[in-house]
Amino acid sequence: MRAAIEAAKGGYNVAVVTKVYPVRSHSVAAQGGINAALKETDSPEAHMFDTVKGSDYLGDQDAIEIMCKEAPADILELEKMGAIFSRDKSGGIAQRPFGGADYPRTCYLADRTGHGILHVMYEQLLKYGVYLYDEWHVVKLVVKDNTARGIIAVEYEAGKLHRLHSKATIIATGGYGRLYKTTTNALSSTGDGMALALDAGAELMDMEFVQFHPTVLKRTGILMTEGARGEGAYLLNAKGERFMSKYAPKVLELASRDVVSRAEQTELEEGRGIDGCVLLDLRHLGEKKINERLSQIRELAVNFAGVDPVKDPVPVKPGAHYSMGGIKTDNDGATRIKGLFAAGECACVSVHGANRLGGNSLLETIVFGRRAGKKAMDFSKGSPLSDFPVDSLMDAAHEVANIVKRENGEAQYIIRDELNAVMEENCGVFRNKERLARCLDKIRELKQRHNGVSLSDKGELFNNELLSVLELGQMLTVSETIVLGALNREESRGSHYRTDFPARNDKDWLKHTVIYREGGELKIRYRDVKITKFKPEERKY
Amino acid sequence: MADLRYAYYPGCASQAITKEANETTRLVAGRLGIELHDMPKANCCGAGLLTDYDYELYIALNARIFAEAEEMGMDILTICSTCLMVMATANRDLKEDPGLLDRTNKVLSKVGLRYSGNIKVVQLLWVLAGDYGLDKLRKQVVKPLNWLKIAPFYGCHSLRPASALGFDDPEKPWSLDATITALGAQAVQYRGKTKCCGFQVDLVNEETAELMTAVRLLDGKGRGADCFVTPCPFCHINLDNYQKLAEKRAEANISMPVFHLSQLVGLALGLSPEEMGLSRHLISPEKVLK
Amino acid sequence: MKIKFRIRRCSPISKEACDPYAQVFNVEAEEGMTVLEALLKISDEQDPTLAFRKSCRSAICGSCAMNINGFSRLACNTQVIPEYKKMGDMLIEPLSNHRPLKDLVVDFTPFWRKIEKVTPFLTPTKKTSEATVTAEAEAAIDRSQRCIMCGCCNAMCNSLEIDEHFIAPAALAKAWRLVGDVREGHQAKRLEKLSEEHGMWDCVRCVHCTEYCPKGVMPLKQIEMLRSGALKAGILDNPGAKHVEAMADSVKKIGRLDEAAMTFRTLGFLRSLGMIPFGLTMERHGKMPLPHIFPQIEEIEEVRKIYEEFEKALKKKKG
Ligand SMILES: Cc1cc2nc3c(=O)[nH]c(=O)nc-3n(C[C@H](O)[C@H](O)[C@H](O)COP(=O)(O)OP(=O)(O)OC[C@H]3O[C@@H](n4cnc5c(N)ncnc54)[C@H](O)[C@@H]3O)c2cc1C
Ligand code: SF4
Ligand code: SF4
Ligand code: FES
Repeated sequence: MRAAIEAAKGGYNVAVVTKVYPVRSHSVAAQGGINAALKETDSPEAHMFDTVKGSDYLGDQDAIEIMCKEAPADILELEKMGAIFSRDKSGGIAQRPFGGADYPRTCYLADRTGHGILHVMYEQLLKYGVYLYDEWHVVKLVVKDNTARGIIAVEYEAGKLHRLHSKATIIATGGYGRLYKTTTNALSSTGDGMALALDAGAELMDMEFVQFHPTVLKRTGILMTEGARGEGAYLLNAKGERFMSKYAPKVLELASRDVVSRAEQTELEEGRGIDGCVLLDLRHLGEKKINERLSQIRELAVNFAGVDPVKDPVPVKPGAHYSMGGIKTDNDGATRIKGLFAAGECACVSVHGANRLGGNSLLETIVFGRRAGKKAMDFSKGSPLSDFPVDSLMDAAHEVANIVKRENGEAQYIIRDELNAVMEENCGVFRNKERLARCLDKIRELKQRHNGVSLSDKGELFNNELLSVLELGQMLTVSETIVLGALNREESRGSHYRTDFPARNDKDWLKHTVIYREGGELKIRYRDVKITKFKPEERKY
Repeated sequence: MADLRYAYYPGCASQAITKEANETTRLVAGRLGIELHDMPKANCCGAGLLTDYDYELYIALNARIFAEAEEMGMDILTICSTCLMVMATANRDLKEDPGLLDRTNKVLSKVGLRYSGNIKVVQLLWVLAGDYGLDKLRKQVVKPLNWLKIAPFYGCHSLRPASALGFDDPEKPWSLDATITALGAQAVQYRGKTKCCGFQVDLVNEETAELMTAVRLLDGKGRGADCFVTPCPFCHINLDNYQKLAEKRAEANISMPVFHLSQLVGLALGLSPEEMGLSRHLISPEKVLK
Repeated sequence: MKIKFRIRRCSPISKEACDPYAQVFNVEAEEGMTVLEALLKISDEQDPTLAFRKSCRSAICGSCAMNINGFSRLACNTQVIPEYKKMGDMLIEPLSNHRPLKDLVVDFTPFWRKIEKVTPFLTPTKKTSEATVTAEAEAAIDRSQRCIMCGCCNAMCNSLEIDEHFIAPAALAKAWRLVGDVREGHQAKRLEKLSEEHGMWDCVRCVHCTEYCPKGVMPLKQIEMLRSGALKAGILDNPGAKHVEAMADSVKKIGRLDEAAMTFRTLGFLRSLGMIPFGLTMERHGKMPLPHIFPQIEEIEEVRKIYEEFEKALKKKKG
């Protein structure tokens, strides 16, 4: 949406296509905050250093520099648009500490930061008269002669396939948490855009880096924000020890996410968990502070875990949270296909490298969303509308018709459940060669089976099941790229931890994994990391 | 059982248009041994309209009512659901927000009053179904209304906001249903029983008000009700006084008698229709009485 | 525990119409299971044709509002077992006051159109855009900011049930979000628009919106703020505002509500006359409110003094 606003402001004819209504997008769930060096005592350089270090030196430093330098202006612009970040005592924008940052740099709107920003984006869409095609599910990015021509989408309400013909297309489809059984992501976070882009000829980068958030509720995967630890919450094991003192003696609970997740997983695997969980303890913060700063967290814990954090510690565990990897773009969101751009979580610029810091992802969507919108606009200015290949719509229609026609196949949810289980078990916090290889085989088997699924719902209108089958196809594609990348990367870095290669190896692996499709096969190549200011050092918290 | 003594706040409506509600409440309370003490100083609660006018003024004027009750050493009993909701909400806000209580007391001190946040506001219905008790009420019934199918009309303000009222359950209300049963009659179930009568927009948007009244009455009628009963005089104004207008607006025949809760209880206690002021109704309840 | 779910479904015939029917599913409910999880389970294992909206499953995206046992709820934050214990077998229906399209999916277009009607974005002037938002200024609109546009309030709104053109609580909460923002530049214009027909004065104060909002937005409270704002801005030429003014005067004068005087003031002389034939029947039953038959309450001076205090404070604030 940030991209659409930029282009619409510039007077372009812009449409947003989304499979849920814009205010339902998963950004709405982001709780903790958005980073920017606003205060005089902070600086974009410091923000940059924290981000580079957090990324385990895999982030491209030129992109990170852009993000950190442009952050303050973007935050102020959000306020101009109507957002109101929580205030400090003097009436300025308050900032809270977040994991992996050396300075309290995270602006927030109570614990509804994403909600606040998303709703303001939506307001601006209306203000600038952007067309909305809501509940349209994109099934194809149409590319011919390495130039994007537009998209094909299913209209949920009518079951019809439509084509939207455009000079430029920007993908901003978010993450893929739903590949995993335990995830903080919405039911709609199925990685569609990444798979569609790959199929259309774009490249995916660093897919093996999946962030596991250390504090999610057990059964539902609902997130307890890092803001909770920012406000001072403790993590306890079964013995009641603040176990982070062993893993990150200096910053304790505020170490970066991968470190905390691994610490928890170790505690769990070594038998110091309670029912597969560790405890997030907020009690000492007191009811007043909890209600003021973390009211939604309290609500979520009560409604979804039956625990009131004012009275009891909340059982939590690591869960799939964020995709560091994604569609490879340059610093203006451009992919290797002309007229095709990507921004947000589905893109990989890369600012997060091997591990993202809390509060940097909303920032990425805003900074690079704006840049991609601008670039798409410039691109449209300079190029004619190229034709929309007619047969592509026919092909898409055939593909859908084939799924609908099939009889007596398996149901999609069985395959989805198996995929969730196999990813969680073998491609989670701890990985090794054997597990990953098994995982890859299984995914390929599931892909075969997916070709045979059939539907019970043959109706045209509001066919949820059809959309689930389409999503499952994208999920399988994305899973394959993750596992492939993970299998090949024989080192441990950031969120990617190989028990068989536990050390970081800068000599061989300080490089990005790039996956693309060639003649139906997935191919891998590697690309150097852009290092400008900060030489790789050991990462210690 | 402790003595049931209340500072009695009938509300403006029952002192004029629906006088019969006030009069019959006094009669019935007398019969049941519930003491009602007048509040000669009490001002109007604002019926929600003062809330629109100025929130803190509304709070201060309500605190003035509470201060009088506090002086009397009694909780307030009202028969009007709107008064109940308006006062209970003010009371909740005053109890929850010490800053508001302070500011309000500062204003009250100008007229030599003070409210310390110690009273409760209740409704006749709650006293019957709660502290007085329906078992006891059942024993007092001399003329069970066993031929009547009655639609209980709670209306909105005797149930919501639950955070301020907190006696009955707005999703599964029981008090009026159970009172009807205790009086020997049968309670009719219909969806609109906890919804709005339309009173608040009688003078602002007649069309909405009249249609709403019609929809509620027809809903109960469709479920086989012989008559309605409501704990609230405002609901009564709409359901009874404005029923003819509602019929016209909805182009439907309704002719549904509507009782005040106190009248129904009085009849079951053996008081006469005259004593219950039934002739004051616009839709005569005669046809459903034996 | 096996729990019975009765679902009111609807199979679409076209984009405009659908054919309603009810269907029962039995679901094995485990501790902590939400209605949304139960529906997902039904659609996976029993009937994949069941249509409903969902996304975040954490009560923040606003997709999954539906009617559960007669009241608007978010399926994702309603737990099955406690709900069952309270209400018995589950009755799941599409959101009220909205047209079902298929099963539990309703037409949300009217909802968005209402939101759009209140110009749902900040329109500062040069001067107001410089205003600083203090913590206090933020607190004034805090609740209205929490809205997730789920439609639970509109679905329960008694006024909307009768008048589909009513602007309804969600849009009004949004309106206060903007009117109450110190950086907004067109408060008066907004309030004038909201005072038009089908606007904020048509709310019947049924409290349903506040009761059933899953995010504590308290739309009715925001409506009260808007109304106060309009009165203070002098937007008085409409029945709603006149009604309130008449009430405020009546209480100040005699300490009570004077029905007759209020009718007269709210409706104006001619329309009051129009009510006379009806008034005559009321008269026969002794129900015609006559002006000033009320005795004044005792110690009315106290009331007047309280009014004065507020009038003084207001003047000080303005000047
Ligand atoms: C619980 C949670 C908490 C978080 N907290 C924070 C935080 O505190 N700070 C922070 O910086 N980051 C946080 N993040 C991460 C951050 O919220 C996300 O990375 C970011 O919001 C992603 O934004 P996006 O615009 O890329 O994607 P999304 O907001 O997910 O939007 C994706 C859009 O694409 C559409 N779409 C997808 N597929 C299709 C298709 N096939 N056809 C049509 N439309 C499609 C969707 O409908 C949706 O509108 C959090 C994430 C989660 C899950
Ligand atoms: S209080 Fe007003 S806006 Fe809220 S639901 Fe009732 S009528 Fe609608
Ligand atoms: S006000 Fe509450 S109920 Fe209404 S749409 Fe917003 S969040 Fe939903
Ligand atoms: S699924 Fe998002 S609010 Fe329920």
